[in-house]
Amino acid sequence: MPELLNNSFNSWSSFLLIFSCAMIVLYLARHSAHGAILGLSNALHSMLRVCSKSLSLAGKRLQERNREVLLNVGREHTEREIEKEFYEVSKFVQKDLGDFPEMQREIQSQIQNIQEAYEGAKSVASESPGWLEAIESVSKIKDSNAQVNHKVLEQIKTTAEKQHKENLRALREDSAQRHKMLRSMQPFWRKLSHTIEQGGRRFKDIIERSEKIDTHMQRYEEIQAGTDGALRYLKLSAMTQFLISTLVIAIAAGGAFFNFHLIALPMSEMVGSVQRVGGVKVSDLAALVIICLEMCAGIFLLESLRITKLFPLIGAMDDRKRRTVMILSAVVLLTLACTESALAFMRDQIANEISALRASLAGSLDSGIEQESSLNHWIPLAANMILGFILPLALTMIAIPLEYLLQSGRTVLGSLIELVANTIAMTLRMSGNLVRHAGKILVNIYDLLIAGPIWLEAVIQNRLASSRENSSESDWLENTLSGGTASVNKSSRGKKS
Amino acid sequence: MKTLLRIIALCSLLSVASCSNEDAAPYSNGYYLLLDTSGTYTQELEQAKQVIHYLLAMLEPGDAFAVARIDSASFSEKDIVAKMVLDSRPSRAIMQKKDFAAVVDNFIGGVQSSPYTDISGGMLQGVEYLNEARVGNKTILIYSDLQEDLPKDYVREVEWLLDGFTVKALNVTKLRRDNQNPQVYLDRVADWQSKVIQGGGHWHLINDLEKPDALL
Repeated sequence: MPELLNNSFNSWSSFLLIFSCAMIVLYLARHSAHGAILGLSNALHSMLRVCSKSLSLAGKRLQERNREVLLNVGREHTEREIEKEFYEVSKFVQKDLGDFPEMQREIQSQIQNIQEAYEGAKSVASESPGWLEAIESVSKIKDSNAQVNHKVLEQIKTTAEKQHKENLRALREDSAQRHKMLRSMQPFWRKLSHTIEQGGRRFKDIIERSEKIDTHMQRYEEIQAGTDGALRYLKLSAMTQFLISTLVIAIAAGGAFFNFHLIALPMSEMVGSVQRVGGVKVSDLAALVIICLEMCAGIFLLESLRITKLFPLIGAMDDRKRRTVMILSAVVLLTLACTESALAFMRDQIANEISALRASLAGSLDSGIEQESSLNHWIPLAANMILGFILPLALTMIAIPLEYLLQSGRTVLGSLIELVANTIAMTLRMSGNLVRHAGKILVNIYDLLIAGPIWLEAVIQNRLASSRENSSESDWLENTLSGGTASVNKSSRGKKS
Repeated sequence: MKTLLRIIALCSLLSVASCSNEDAAPYSNGYYLLLDTSGTYTQELEQAKQVIHYLLAMLEPGDAFAVARIDSASFSEKDIVAKMVLDSRPSRAIMQKKDFAAVVDNFIGGVQSSPYTDISGGMLQGVEYLNEARVGNKTILIYSDLQEDLPKDYVREVEWLLDGFTVKALNVTKLRRDNQNPQVYLDRVADWQSKVIQGGGHWHLINDLEKPDALL
């Protein structure tokens, strides 16, 4: 126990000794250490800040560039849209409005026909009957001739009734004639109504197209002005296009992978599967080359059809050359599709042979199963052959999402790099500030470690200062006193003089 | 200009030639199966047929495969029952496999047991064959109880050079003596294992043939 205590005492004393020595050394090196810590932290801070600034600048330049690219792409796209709309309007004007004078003549002739029919259908007012005046004059005759009057009136009545009947018959005939004429007007009305409706529909189309053109033009103006709204719209559109085209490309890649497996085995029958290039079987490479050729032919076909604009040179060719490229691409594509179909047939044969070999090696060959398999053999064979023909044609459509991916990918990638650059710049700036403050904190911790000597220094300095103050006060008193005697002497000397 | 074109054409031709002449050997597999035909072990050969069939089913164009018997003096080409290097065309390879299977089946059907067992000689023959076949992965499969019994005056004290080889002992059956003293069996297996490892090869013991994946 005493030994243990002795040991602990020794260890404590040695620790205290080392601590004191270290404290003294640290105190002596205080100014140099402070300088080193602060210098290092300041240097790191400056370096990180410079890096952050340069990255920020790069980010800004990238932002500007992205903005330009986005606006250019948007401008091109809108120009294409407007061009397409104008083309449609022009086609409409040429096709539908080209026969407008004819339609106008037709309407005029129909109106004229209607007018003639109308004129013919007008009713002529019947003349007033003559017997009214006769009745009036008979009524004015005196009562003496009542019998005569009665007879006359009877005759007038008979005549009037007869005339009335004749008039009524004539009126009915006339009305029937007019009704007949009006009935003949009906087809003209219908035709006129149809012609006008047709014209109205065509005009409605052109109004809709003009509204679309207005919208495109408005967007085009916004893009030209480089407004924030246009930029936002274009960015969103680019992101959407990028995501959709990526999805479609991924699906196409799946199709290409399936296609590859469809033709890899039969290709080994043609070129062998032992030789390798860069670790990959030559047969696999050959299958890949065929798929790539199909894609290339598809891209050229769509380019020559002016559906895509990956190679502007093809689109800018004159129609004859372009048609030649189109026909060539289509022929190559069809040939490759037929070849793939044949390869799919061959694959089926080889796969059957392999499975038959495995079955025979496993000793499970059964004639019944064989017969059944031969019956069901045509379904997978036909499916393989159809897929072998259709997949290359379907893969040609990859050119459209590829174009969108390349166009939108440029913008999206630029935005991503910009975001990364800005984030790194901000992180560097924060790290720089952190390093500077860490340097200050380290200096304070250093001072904390040597708090004892610093306190002693402060106490000594205070004492020295107070003793210095005391001595200066006594000096001052002495000086003032000596100054007073000197002035008294001077004044006495002056009085004497 | 013409000279430049010629140089470009020559360079492209050379590059194509260098690509197409890449050695296919590092990617191909070579298997040498030794069948023990000594004593009562011939009864086990029916099961060996299944192993051979499995291997045949799994082999790919370019692979090499040979089946040899272990008899009194196995260090001889005459002991190779059947051998083949599979053609690069799958249809031809299928035909080769069928022929191979027929030859092996015939051999197993009419095999006669040998009085001695020269496993070392068979292994040496296997090493020689696989080295000549220039394959990437070399595997020697020993279908035996690993009990070597050499005729008088036969010496097999050779330096084993098995670098890059994998030796797999299949269906190492226990003999009557092994049942009396299992240490004998363990020592026998350990002896072969040390031989292979000292020669620079890899050693595997596969007694459960129900899991054929271990064969490859």
